[in-house]
Amino acid sequence: ERCRCLPRRAMHVPSPGAGPTGLRFLGQEEAQAIDQELFTEYKFSVDQLMELAGLSCATAIAKAYPPSSFTTSQPAVLVVCGPGNNGGDGLVCARHLKMFGYQPTVYYPKRPSKPLFEGLTTQCKKMDIPFLPEFPAEAEFIDELYGLVVDAIFGFSFTGAVREPFGSILSTLERVTVPIASIDIPSGWDVEKGKADGLQPDMLISLTAPKKAAMHFTGRYHFLGGRFVPPALQEKYSLNLPEYPGTDCVLQLT
Amino acid sequence: SPSLSPQAFPLRSLRRRQPTLLVACGPAQNGAVGLVCARHLRSFDYEPTIFYPKRSPDPLHRDFTTQCEKMDIPFLSYLPTEVQLIDDAYNAVVDAVLGAEGTQGTEGTEPCAAILATLRHVRIPIVSLDVPSGWLAGPVGGSGDISPDVLVSLAAPKEVARRFRGRRHFLAGRFVPEELRRKFGLSPPEYPGSDCVVAL
Repeated sequence: ERCRCLPRRAMHVPSPGAGPTGLRFLGQEEAQAIDQELFTEYKFSVDQLMELAGLSCATAIAKAYPPSSFTTSQPAVLVVCGPGNNGGDGLVCARHLKMFGYQPTVYYPKRPSKPLFEGLTTQCKKMDIPFLPEFPAEAEFIDELYGLVVDAIFGFSFTGAVREPFGSILSTLERVTVPIASIDIPSGWDVEKGKADGLQPDMLISLTAPKKAAMHFTGRYHFLGGRFVPPALQEKYSLNLPEYPGTDCVLQLT
Repeated sequence: SPSLSPQAFPLRSLRRRQPTLLVACGPAQNGAVGLVCARHLRSFDYEPTIFYPKRSPDPLHRDFTTQCEKMDIPFLSYLPTEVQLIDDAYNAVVDAVLGAEGTQGTEGTEPCAAILATLRHVRIPIVSLDVPSGWLAGPVGGSGDISPDVLVSLAAPKEVARRFRGRRHFLAGRFVPEELRRKFGLSPPEYPGSDCVVAL
């Protein structure tokens, strides 16, 4: 193991979907509806929520895998960004990881030509975060160079088949032995049913509220992030979110 | 901004039973930061009330206002000139009126002048965002300056912060890239771990 981390004490949470007092795990449509409501009713911008989401991810990573725990000579992290908003979350996460003292490297093969993503890419580049021209050919190369991989490929909107180059990327990631931290949904998983033979991340950072796929998560660390859901929206969807500690932007669920 | 009040005024330390805070927001950038701050304070279980008499037409700032309204944060329609009413209702005031924009002497425009006239007399602590509103550039302050208890410098402390004599000085806004810090000769801030606030 390239990243030996201190074990964390789990917080007690009620069992998932256990009734009105239990933390709710959302279906795909519900997750999309909540997202839409945050933008259309509550007037949050994508930028705002993406920034808070990415910051949550970096913060959760810093708690579970502090720089001192890396066995690589530098706390090197590979951040793999997909073609949509999950990829955007990854770019924000990479930037904050750099601020926190990590050495992130980004792989971002499919970039939307929208100002939001172009801006996030520039922000990373101006922080001297390298962007790989090619994905490492072998899982062993990733294990050698990095102590952690951040999976920011697909999020809660993912449906259907995985298009290249992400199929090959996921095959390689499935053979990696360093820990993988997935943003919101382990990429390639069905958002509700999971994927038994798919990616097995060590950490999952659920954003806003966990999705049903998280019920199939068997990694060590499950964090909740995206501390921006207004009380009225939490009530409307009976999210039953546990209390975040103090002013932290993340909550450790397991 | 989000973490400033809880570190200086943890919920359990507040004198009033309800964790009430007054957030006074000016018409420009500093006021917008105040709006965002109020929203995060609400999610931290404080009870902020906003006074935002002159609203910025900037669409982003208008959205910040909507976000606050949808979090059930009340907006005062007027600020009591009777200072006792403010001292009785709130535990502290967040000063997001002028900030750095005020150091060039813009405090004279209404309604900021009136807000500051009232803030000069409150007895509850004031938390100023970036620069105590109304403080002018220069080595010596004016006798009418507000005296905040807490100052939260954003990105880097401003010149006028040298005159700050309050209880706590924080640095927040952990987003300045290293290249920019070096270019302006800013000393590296020592944020602990993944915190976005550091006590100076």
